Amino acid sequence: MAELLAVDAAAWAIASRTILVSGAATALAVFAGVPLGYAIARRRFRGRTALLGFINTGMGMPPVVAGLIVWLLLVRSGPFGDFDLIYTRRAMVLAQFLIATPIVVAFTTASLQSLPPRLPDLLAVLGAGRLRTMWLLAREARLGLLVAIMAAFGAVVSEVGASMIVGGNLERSTRVLTTAIVTETSRGNVERALALGLVLLGLSFLVNLTLTVIQQRPRA
Amino acid sequence: MDLDIEGVRVEREGRPVLEVASLVVRGGRTTAVLGPNGSGKTTLLRVIAGLERPRAGRVQPDPMPHVAYVFQEEVFLRQSVRENLELGLRLRRVEKTQARARVAEASGLLGISHLLDRRADHLSGGEGRRVSLARALCLRAPLVLLDEPLQGLDEPTYSRLLDELPQLLAAFDATTLLVTHNRHEAMRLAQDLVILVDGRVHAAGHKHEVAARPRVREVAEVLGYAVLDVDGRRVAVPPGALRPGPGRTEFSLIVEDVLDLVESREMVGHISGVRVHVTLPPVGATPAAGERVSVHADRVCDIA
Repeated sequence: MAELLAVDAAAWAIASRTILVSGAATALAVFAGVPLGYAIARRRFRGRTALLGFINTGMGMPPVVAGLIVWLLLVRSGPFGDFDLIYTRRAMVLAQFLIATPIVVAFTTASLQSLPPRLPDLLAVLGAGRLRTMWLLAREARLGLLVAIMAAFGAVVSEVGASMIVGGNLERSTRVLTTAIVTETSRGNVERALALGLVLLGLSFLVNLTLTVIQQRPRA
Repeated sequence: MDLDIEGVRVEREGRPVLEVASLVVRGGRTTAVLGPNGSGKTTLLRVIAGLERPRAGRVQPDPMPHVAYVFQEEVFLRQSVRENLELGLRLRRVEKTQARARVAEASGLLGISHLLDRRADHLSGGEGRRVSLARALCLRAPLVLLDEPLQGLDEPTYSRLLDELPQLLAAFDATTLLVTHNRHEAMRLAQDLVILVDGRVHAAGHKHEVAARPRVREVAEVLGYAVLDVDGRRVAVPPGALRPGPGRTEFSLIVEDVLDLVESREMVGHISGVRVHVTLPPVGATPAAGERVSVHADRVCDIA
């Protein structure tokens, strides 16, 4: 029990690395996924339904498969091997980005499509330019957009397969909470594994609580 | 501000839905665009507002100055009524105190001052319509587009708003285009009429010129005339002009039913396949279903 609570400096390093990697992956996914979701929700183009189907499939992509794809691309003998990214935190961000983006796109599309269909027309005739329209629509759809961020962060912070494959679970550079839990369990350090599990849960809770507070904040 | 529409053509899935060769909407007046459902009325408004780009043709002035557009269905941000009213003013960079004054004035005129702090997306149908109209009014736009502004309201709300609309249209002090499929609304609210059927303009001009003498079947039907064949010619009978008994232009009607409307009676029947209604005095003989009776009209128009 003592060990359960005595989360040491190493554990905190792992925890902060976890936030950094998953936070960066989620941020990048939002950066790329929200505009893409916006385009899919607002525009009609050839192959749109197929793209949406592809993205919806991507939502259910096993992290380990995403990891394998990124590993094949970044491994020394692979097409991007010269960048020397394999077994780095950047590689982990990339793999988690691949996992998070379809989630952000799909939730963004769905939440924008649930807005009144004439709303973009109204904003246009009221005089809103393209960026202003995008901002106002995103604000209207903020409940759904925050769900997108929560779901994406939740997915990447809890995945283990991709981080293990492309990060290599190196103790001082690429070990994150999930891979650390796997390691400790396999070593028979169940109490430490449990403690790290609690840290992971607490972390998820804090992030989601923050986003939920923003989401549910009443508008003046 | 006159509005000049020339050679405008809009297609959907390769099929033309609007083809306006030439139409001038006169500035400072209210023009009703009258036509059946699916005749392209809303599409015309959308093209004028710049929401839809026609395949061919142009609308002048181009670019269109800011318009005020009241959509057929209520569209609001999930915010207070006040914020919804102020949004367009903010987007058009109207100074804050002036914006507040305009919102106060418009909401006073439409009787929605007590709703300003309510959520706009939680209003009743009638309240929502008033807020939509107030939002358009605040903008003080030179061109106002109203798409079926009275559709879908319950009877008391409809009548009250219909009574208030002329005053509101005067307050707009703009070139106003009103889309409706209801000829009574069109006659009551507009000075000019445009008859749109199957995407084409069949008549346009002052309402007296257009409504008093329809020259083609499409216009006559939109205006509620019965188009009938008599003595080898085709005529249009104005709404309510058929009377029982023989007279100047006489028709033979086969009775279907006689309706008791308490203060009057209405004979429903058909004249060579065209269904018509003829008002009967409250008392008197009631013709039987299937009976052939004479009816007449004192005024008819020849149809091409």
